[in-house]
Amino acid sequence: MRVVIAEDLFLLREGLVRLLSAHGFEIVAAVASAPELLKALLDERPDVGIVDVRLPPTHTDDGLRAALQARRQIPGLPVLVLSQYVEQLYARELLADQAGGVGYLLKDRVFNDEAFTAAIRSVAAGGTVLDPEVVQKLMVRHSRTEPVTRLTPREHDVLALMAEGRSNAAIAQRLFITEKAVSKHAAGIFAKLDLALSDDDNRRVLAVLAYLES
Amino acid sequence: MLFAIVLLLTIGCIALVLAREARRVPRPDGLRGRIRDRGRGLLLLPVAMAAAVMAGGAHELIPAELGLAALAIGFAPKLAAKLVPYGVLGLAVFGVHLAKEYNDGFTSGVQYLFVHAVSRGGAELVLAEAGVLFVVGLWLLVRLDSPGAGLVRALAARWLGSGRGGISGTQALLLIPVVGLTMQLLGPGDWFGWQAVDGLDVAVMDLTAVAAALVLIFRSRAWAATLAEAGLLVLGAYGWVIAVFWPAVPGFAYGFSDLHNSPTPAPLWTVALEGSVLLAAGLWLAPRVMRHHLTDLPDPELAARARQLTQRVQTLTQTRHDAVDTAAAELRRIERDLHDGAQARLVALGMSLQAAQRLFPTNPEAALALVAEAKESSSLALTELRDLVRGIYPPVLADRGLADAIRALALDTPLPAELDLDLPREVELPVASAVYFSVAEALANVTKHACARAVRIQLSYSSGMLRAQITDDGTGGADPALGTGLAGVERRLATFDGILAVSSPPGGPTIVVIEVPCALSSPKTSSY
Repeated sequence: MRVVIAEDLFLLREGLVRLLSAHGFEIVAAVASAPELLKALLDERPDVGIVDVRLPPTHTDDGLRAALQARRQIPGLPVLVLSQYVEQLYARELLADQAGGVGYLLKDRVFNDEAFTAAIRSVAAGGTVLDPEVVQKLMVRHSRTEPVTRLTPREHDVLALMAEGRSNAAIAQRLFITEKAVSKHAAGIFAKLDLALSDDDNRRVLAVLAYLES
Repeated sequence: MLFAIVLLLTIGCIALVLAREARRVPRPDGLRGRIRDRGRGLLLLPVAMAAAVMAGGAHELIPAELGLAALAIGFAPKLAAKLVPYGVLGLAVFGVHLAKEYNDGFTSGVQYLFVHAVSRGGAELVLAEAGVLFVVGLWLLVRLDSPGAGLVRALAARWLGSGRGGISGTQALLLIPVVGLTMQLLGPGDWFGWQAVDGLDVAVMDLTAVAAALVLIFRSRAWAATLAEAGLLVLGAYGWVIAVFWPAVPGFAYGFSDLHNSPTPAPLWTVALEGSVLLAAGLWLAPRVMRHHLTDLPDPELAARARQLTQRVQTLTQTRHDAVDTAAAELRRIERDLHDGAQARLVALGMSLQAAQRLFPTNPEAALALVAEAKESSSLALTELRDLVRGIYPPVLADRGLADAIRALALDTPLPAELDLDLPREVELPVASAVYFSVAEALANVTKHACARAVRIQLSYSSGMLRAQITDDGTGGADPALGTGLAGVERRLATFDGILAVSSPPGGPTIVVIEVPCALSSPKTSSY
């Protein structure tokens, strides 16, 4: 799997390169600034770009903006955004084009290399992965709003884990239920949120979006 | 007896008018206004009575005059009020005339207000009273807005305002004629015990005085003008004294009027005229000279500005003190958070790794457990650092500016939030930070206390004022005096001359308004 990495801190960039190489990813470019990132994404068209939000030249949200611009030019280009902090505002912007293939994680999720590489693969496959911290905020915010109030507590849990980008198997394992039960809950969620039937990954993204837009 | 009544009436009426003017009650229309006009018109009664009494002996006039005054008060109250000043001025003119009559040998007894004059002895008192009446008459003229009040006001304003600029040479040179007139008035008489014998002596004395005046003019123009002004006023007044009291007062010659040759010299009205001219010159010079000497005194505008600046310095001292305190407390909090949080976690992490290193050869499984613990520690340290950084300076504010930071705040609020953010350009960072934390505090209060279902956040900027308004539909009754949150926000905003206002009637809605004067910087440019 071909990966572009954008991280301005040398130690972290080298750490990411080492970690991902060790897990069999092919690093096609490891850059340190937003213009370089944009160029690498457009030239290399990687399977996934791993992007730090804060990059030179302005050291604000240049990385995020470069990623969004690349996705405008190549719709659906998978991008996993890493940050020292997570903002619902940024999650919303990443999901706005509804093209999937988006991840938004705290940097410390890198510690758990298995979960991290799973997230990269999920994003590369067009899935949506949101950090549990973002998901938690969403849950608090939307616990009182329609149409989410119609969900049962169990469906809530399932939706939260889906938003984190977990597969049905992972959700089943986490909630100590069978995979079949997860599928049933998922069907219930999609019905209650008035989501049309389509391929599963896309419906997951739409479910998350329904959350964000409600 | 009659006079005592007149006196009491006069005093009572003047007191009434003064009290009313002091309170400066706006003149109401209708019944009260009519009563007020009649009250002022009542002053006509004592004036009429005094005039009737002065007419002397003709007591049959008293009822007639009083009757006329009463008619005027009853049927034309406003006219009556406007006539009062002219009545008083008329009495004053009569007083001057009376004083002159007595001086000329008039001997009948006349009751002039408080003085019952019978001969020349009473003339001075009559004249003094007439002077007071002049002043009172003019004052009433202006106060009661009688015809001519505008003219008097304009003249007074002009006279008071005419003293701008320095003292000119011409003004200082007025000292020469003043000295000349003084020498002329004193004549070749007794000079400090030295009897002048001939024209030469007089000429020497005159020349000496004029030379002294010239020296003064060249040495100090201002003091020469001051002396000239005082001389003009004194000489002018003395002209009137001569006109009234001659030959009871000393004098050799007064301007064009020869005095020493006869007990009734060249018509006294010429002396009065000359005196008036001198007085006028003195009055013309007075404000200019006074202005010059008073320039050291504070200009009212400057004084007001100084007061403003003093107040501003006090405010700045206070807010700077608060800002330093807040900053110190903030640093203390950050230090403690780092010490108890991230630092402690990193120490624990190091110790775990150290123990793991030692255990590896003998007990690899225990070592692995310790490494997992270390990973946990580093994760917790990161979380704590993240929260700390958010409290110091929210990253989204640094990334995106105030409007997006508030948008992010609204997203993190567990209530539906309606946003109306209209910020044409970016706010300077310190102000943006203060406003951000103020809005955050207000939103936290809404979430915690208001039992609100929705919140509305407005942000706007117009004519140098940044304004944020947070409105909720909660239970209201919020008091910024309670609790430390909003008080801290107030202190924080005060550093930027910003204010916080809370309107929270019981039952809601609660409205928190934050206003900070500030400039907007150039728009954020985006290249991606």
